[in-house]
Amino acid sequence: MDAFSMGLLAAMGALATVAGASEDIESDVGSQSNPNSQVQLAAQVGFPHRIYNKAISGEPPSNALWCAVAAGTAMVLIEKFAMPALLSIALGAAVAALFNGVFSTTAYMGRNASQARFNQYVFLDVLRTHTTTIMAHAWITAFCITCISYIMAYVLPMTHPFPMPLIAMIWGLAVGAIGSSTGDVHYGAEREFQNTPFGAGLNTMDSGHIVREAEAGVRSSIDNAWFCAKFGGPATGMAFGLTVFLDNWRATIFDPATQGVLVVATGVVIVIILNIYNKMLENYARKKYGPYPEYKGDIEA
Amino acid sequence: MTGIDATSVMYIIEIIIGGLLVAIGVHFVPVGGAPAAMAQATGVGTGTVQLAAGSGLTGLLAAGLMMKMTDDLLLIVASGAVGAMIMIDATMVVGNWVYIYGVGAPPASAKVNYDPITKLPQPPYMAPGTVGQGIPTVCYVSGTIGGLLGGAGGSLIYFALLSINGNPGLSGIFAIGIFLVNAVLASWNIQGTIEGFHDTKFKRWPRVLQAALLASAIIGVMAVMITGGA
Amino acid sequence: MSVAAGGGAPSKVEPMKLRIYGVVGGLVGIYLASLLGPMTGNWASFIAALGVIPAVVLGANSVRRVCSYGIGTGVPSIGMLALGMGIVAAMFGLAIGGVIGPILGTAIAMGFGYLIGLITNKAIKFNIPVMEEGTMDLGGAGAITLLGLSVAVSGSADYAAIQMSVIATGYIAVVFIAGSLAILHPFNANLGPDETQDRTLTHAISTAALAIVAAGICGIGTIGLPSVLTVIVGFLVWIVYFKKFFQLVKRDAAGVVGTGLLPPSAQ
Repeated sequence: MDAFSMGLLAAMGALATVAGASEDIESDVGSQSNPNSQVQLAAQVGFPHRIYNKAISGEPPSNALWCAVAAGTAMVLIEKFAMPALLSIALGAAVAALFNGVFSTTAYMGRNASQARFNQYVFLDVLRTHTTTIMAHAWITAFCITCISYIMAYVLPMTHPFPMPLIAMIWGLAVGAIGSSTGDVHYGAEREFQNTPFGAGLNTMDSGHIVREAEAGVRSSIDNAWFCAKFGGPATGMAFGLTVFLDNWRATIFDPATQGVLVVATGVVIVIILNIYNKMLENYARKKYGPYPEYKGDIEA
Repeated sequence: MTGIDATSVMYIIEIIIGGLLVAIGVHFVPVGGAPAAMAQATGVGTGTVQLAAGSGLTGLLAAGLMMKMTDDLLLIVASGAVGAMIMIDATMVVGNWVYIYGVGAPPASAKVNYDPITKLPQPPYMAPGTVGQGIPTVCYVSGTIGGLLGGAGGSLIYFALLSINGNPGLSGIFAIGIFLVNAVLASWNIQGTIEGFHDTKFKRWPRVLQAALLASAIIGVMAVMITGGA
Repeated sequence: MSVAAGGGAPSKVEPMKLRIYGVVGGLVGIYLASLLGPMTGNWASFIAALGVIPAVVLGANSVRRVCSYGIGTGVPSIGMLALGMGIVAAMFGLAIGGVIGPILGTAIAMGFGYLIGLITNKAIKFNIPVMEEGTMDLGGAGAITLLGLSVAVSGSADYAAIQMSVIATGYIAVVFIAGSLAILHPFNANLGPDETQDRTLTHAISTAALAIVAAGICGIGTIGLPSVLTVIVGFLVWIVYFKKFFQLVKRDAAGVVGTGLLPPSAQ
């Protein structure tokens, strides 16, 4: 371990945290992934809305696309035109953001047009104002992940054998999987259903009854970014940052060539600690919140 | 093109075992699908393939790095498995943060009355109108096992491929392809959501064995015949 | 999956017709590009990319056919499966087939896809009548998409050239994921009870064009200037079909409005 690789590792962890946060907010503005099912359902149960409906083929594949396109473009600029890495990655991310914009726009139009019988309109002003917000967040995600991939493929003393676009694609898949598993819950279970009491998930009876109105006027998806940026986004960032950092940390403090067993053992210790921590977290929540008063069964809490 | 000989038969077997590990590992991953994203069902709020691929491929990155340094099969597979476990564990812990602090609901399983590991009662903590929420200990441990199997399977496939063609890029993308085929077959077997090894749906896993066996065998035979050098 | 669950989506264009267009169109593109490549100094590589369009339409149509039965795991999984099957089969065909490589790769991918469909119906008990056909088409579409875009990047259908300029550089990742989104995005983005086949397939052409643009950008890194033509061609196709798609959205939607408050409920 040397200070140089440790510094790079810290940078990777920080970049991953930012990437995770922006990925989650991007999907919240667009209502991508699983909370999308309620947005889709809302019009069906009689609540046409002005929420963005960006159904792009699941978060992991779509984020893999943004990141792979950004990394591919950056690599062309770096290798063919010998451009500086940072500028190339920024330009690559810009291309990725354009792709994101097109996919978002067509998904919004397509999904809403397919709900004609429920009177769900296609609002062009929603497209104009929200798509740019979504693209901006996608740019940040693609930029950060391409930077991580660049560090892994070119800068670290022990470079990764995979080519840069492939690394970016894998991290893109991972950040999408994490975003849809963590931050999206904050949007789906809390923000979409702020009209139900805090402290429980969505009651099946309320399915589709999403909040459509704001403090003043109609709720727009940009309000959702404002809400989710307070907790869901940073939490997602933590998850992805932890993944990138811990995974690479154990290969940095020990030399995989000679201390491979230690690298694996460190990982196992981390996994055990996380398991114990989760148990503590569960105990805390059960004690703090207690059983639901509506429960009528005979199993003692 | 390389012919089929004893060594390549061994690699084919490794690819098949890897494929089976992935297919079985997916059954351990606790995914609640779309309902879980509304804290309406127990498990991680995403799709089976998505989470399995996210963790398994993170493991693949770790294994790829390790294989550059050593050719010890055990170490490479262990490294991949640990990488995948770290990813899925970090995800589930933060997922629980969101359920507990963001939604204000304690984790509870809907499929069992008492958690098989901690023996804690579950139904009183299940919010009305839902089928559980969050990731209780049994699901968490199950998910960790899923990450272990998925990461190990993916790394084993990568190990076999790289030993044949010596080209990390080619082996990497092939491993992703084989991983995805097996993960998708497994997720079709699960039909959406599963809580983990305590779920009744888990008993379906033998059905995916035939499918994954056949698919991995065919891909394996093709893959060992592809050379990596230009 | 709310679209006529259990009954299959209504379609105007025959699957067989799309299959012939997709497979033949894709292969013709790949062969034309690799034949003309040496003569024109790779300026013909965009033809291979154009051949991808009918293949993507074929793939998107079979995603539509299979997913309208409701497969329980969402649309993305099936697109990932298509490319997962496609990549190994396509590279296998190229590696051992020589001149007939692309044909061999596509045929193997389709055969493998058929087998996958068969075992999902038999072993996993899906019982979807179009499953075998659907996965067969998806395998073929995946293989042709990968091959066509790879040829567009490398300028030649020679295995060694693709190995060097597409796989070793990692551009295969872009081709892989852009191809799979091109196939699965159209149906996913148009999902709903009022989905129409012509709108979904028009959308498929525009997503295929985006994949061409992505491959063209990567091609600039390998074959250089001729690949700019691929980007331009892809962009032009995209503009034309995006406009068509927008027309169809206007035709199908309850209303396309500049702005407005919450629409009245239909119930």
